[in-house]
Amino acid sequence: MDQQILNAIFIGSIYALFAVGYTLVFGVLDILNLAHSAVFMLGAAVTYSLTVNHGQPFWIACILGIAVSAVMGLVIEYVCLRPLRRRKAPPIAALISTVGLALIIVAAIEQGQTGTFFSWLWVDGPNSVAFPAGTIPNPTWHVGDLTLEASKVAIIPISIALMLILGYVIRYTQVGRGLRAVAENPRAARLLGLDVDRMIALTLVISSALGGLAGILFGVALGDISPYIGRDNVEVRGLAVIVLGGMGSVPGAVIGGYLLGFIEVLALVVLGSSARGGVAFAALFLMLVLRPQGLFGAQLREKI
Amino acid sequence: MKRLHLVTWLAAAVFVAACGSTGGGGTANTSSYSGKTIKLGAILSITGAGGVYGPQSRDGMNLAVKQINNSGGVNGAQIALTINDDASDKAQSAQVAQKLIQEEQDLALLGPTLSNSAVAVHPLAESLKTPILAVSTTGINIVPNCNAPSTVPCKYVFRDSLGEQTAIPDNIKSYAADSHPTTGVLLVAQDDKFSSDGGTIVQATVGQYNIQLLKTIKFNKAEADLSPYVTQAVQLKPDVIFITSLGNIPSKIMTEARKQGWTGQFLGGNGFNTATVSKAAGDAGKGARSASAWYLGNNFASNSDFVTAYRAEYNKDPDQFAAQGYAAIKILADAAKRANLTFSDLPGDRDKLRAAMETVNIQTPLGPFQFTSQHDVKQTVWVIAMDGSGGFTLVHQINPS
Repeated sequence: MDQQILNAIFIGSIYALFAVGYTLVFGVLDILNLAHSAVFMLGAAVTYSLTVNHGQPFWIACILGIAVSAVMGLVIEYVCLRPLRRRKAPPIAALISTVGLALIIVAAIEQGQTGTFFSWLWVDGPNSVAFPAGTIPNPTWHVGDLTLEASKVAIIPISIALMLILGYVIRYTQVGRGLRAVAENPRAARLLGLDVDRMIALTLVISSALGGLAGILFGVALGDISPYIGRDNVEVRGLAVIVLGGMGSVPGAVIGGYLLGFIEVLALVVLGSSARGGVAFAALFLMLVLRPQGLFGAQLREKI
Repeated sequence: MKRLHLVTWLAAAVFVAACGSTGGGGTANTSSYSGKTIKLGAILSITGAGGVYGPQSRDGMNLAVKQINNSGGVNGAQIALTINDDASDKAQSAQVAQKLIQEEQDLALLGPTLSNSAVAVHPLAESLKTPILAVSTTGINIVPNCNAPSTVPCKYVFRDSLGEQTAIPDNIKSYAADSHPTTGVLLVAQDDKFSSDGGTIVQATVGQYNIQLLKTIKFNKAEADLSPYVTQAVQLKPDVIFITSLGNIPSKIMTEARKQGWTGQFLGGNGFNTATVSKAAGDAGKGARSASAWYLGNNFASNSDFVTAYRAEYNKDPDQFAAQGYAAIKILADAAKRANLTFSDLPGDRDKLRAAMETVNIQTPLGPFQFTSQHDVKQTVWVIAMDGSGGFTLVHQINPS
């Protein structure tokens, strides 16, 4: 059981980190950015490619992976969101345009094989790869019955620290106040002299950088980097987490992430493996019925 | 509609008879092949979950086509093979098959890569009377009853890949004889036909060799983190962990189980049999055993020639899927050679090819190759173990009974 609790905390951290980025954009824009899962994958893919195929040190590759993800946030804003906002398109249009971008990013990576146009970006096509042993120091300790693996253990403090920093920025800094103002009422924020477009771009950069980092941590700890990790492994769960926590609420996404991790593992241990997915989503459904606004939907009247 | 079919068939029959009478009897009329094209269409999973296997099948097929065409073709006819990606998606796989059969008018099809897609594609080929040769599908009910639960054998469906119903029991039997394990845990992906079929076969087999199955742990392919499942398996301290799954999942399970300190034996199915998986598992996979249709180190001529040519062409080692893809083209070429094709009557030619496939008897990289009366493969089974560095070593050779 102890090992299972550890498993739950670990995967919960990844869900939380991913969902925080997701919910941040929703909080500010009232739009679901479905390209977030592709950015998650891109962060991992770029870091892997720079380390393994281009011989860069892991830490530099990590920083560049996060930077590329952040830039992708700007692409989402300038290509998918801003033109539609200018034309006053309904939120569903933005949803579809982000889905489109996600498909393009996944397809670009998928096409990356030796000898193709995208080989500078990725050479393993649709295959799943892992960092070769020795690329990243990853000692494993055995404490009693527990197996502690450095890469997994490290995820927990990294995630918590980042989420605390983000919480601090949103609550106590000038930028955070700006973000909250835009989230509350973009028109009023503009009248008060805030550059709303800049705030939205910033939101996407922060959100995408967090998404890319979550992808890198996922890839390192689970040894699974492929064009499909975002779409298959975290996209729907991320969505579930932000609903669970309350749409647009950052603390809600954090708690929701850990909660989903625990529900999944608990369902496996108590009810058996074939019930796991069903139980997790049944719990979610129950939450929606009993508390449609999510865990933090009502207490926090302000968004983000 | 029925009447139309009847008329078509009558016309075809008359045409075939006419050709037969001018062609001069049973042996292939080789002069009529010269300058013609034999159109084949392969449906492979180049992308998606099956993308671990499809590209190797493609490379094996392309190599065989190149060799045959460069050495004069099939009685002078050139093979034109198209490779079509089904993205590991069942619906797309069926759409591609429909297009190849009806619009492209291919003589025969190969594939699809995954058993999951074969369930949609094979009945379609059967109903459109087009020979289809499965090159990597190993699930239950691929041949002969492609229309399961109907037990009417499918006439147009063949398979050159070793079925899990042969491979998994052979593997368990040989390991039981070597090491006498008493307990096991099964980890099975439940949302995929290939994997769940494999699980069913393991469950049905272990009892015969006095292995007690302590638990069957089911998971879904798109699970983010398999650690909780592996933890559950490892805590039962079994002698053997059976893994029936595909893609990168077996290697992820092995890596995680070794990290959690488990030192027992991994046994698996066809999902183990590619260098990609062995490489991804690395040291964690060392010794993991599976029964394979093919072994790289076999030095009989039809294999060593293939391996040499493949290395020269692609600058890497082939795997089982490449060998099966290569063998499939050789099988179809041999059948086409003997089928006395007309190149003007497609339904008739498809039927002739089908009949000729039943009597194939050639040397392939898989060993001497024939089809059983049920259109399944009849070949030697090679029990192999991962070597910890991306390759395999041969453990046992089991000859066909």
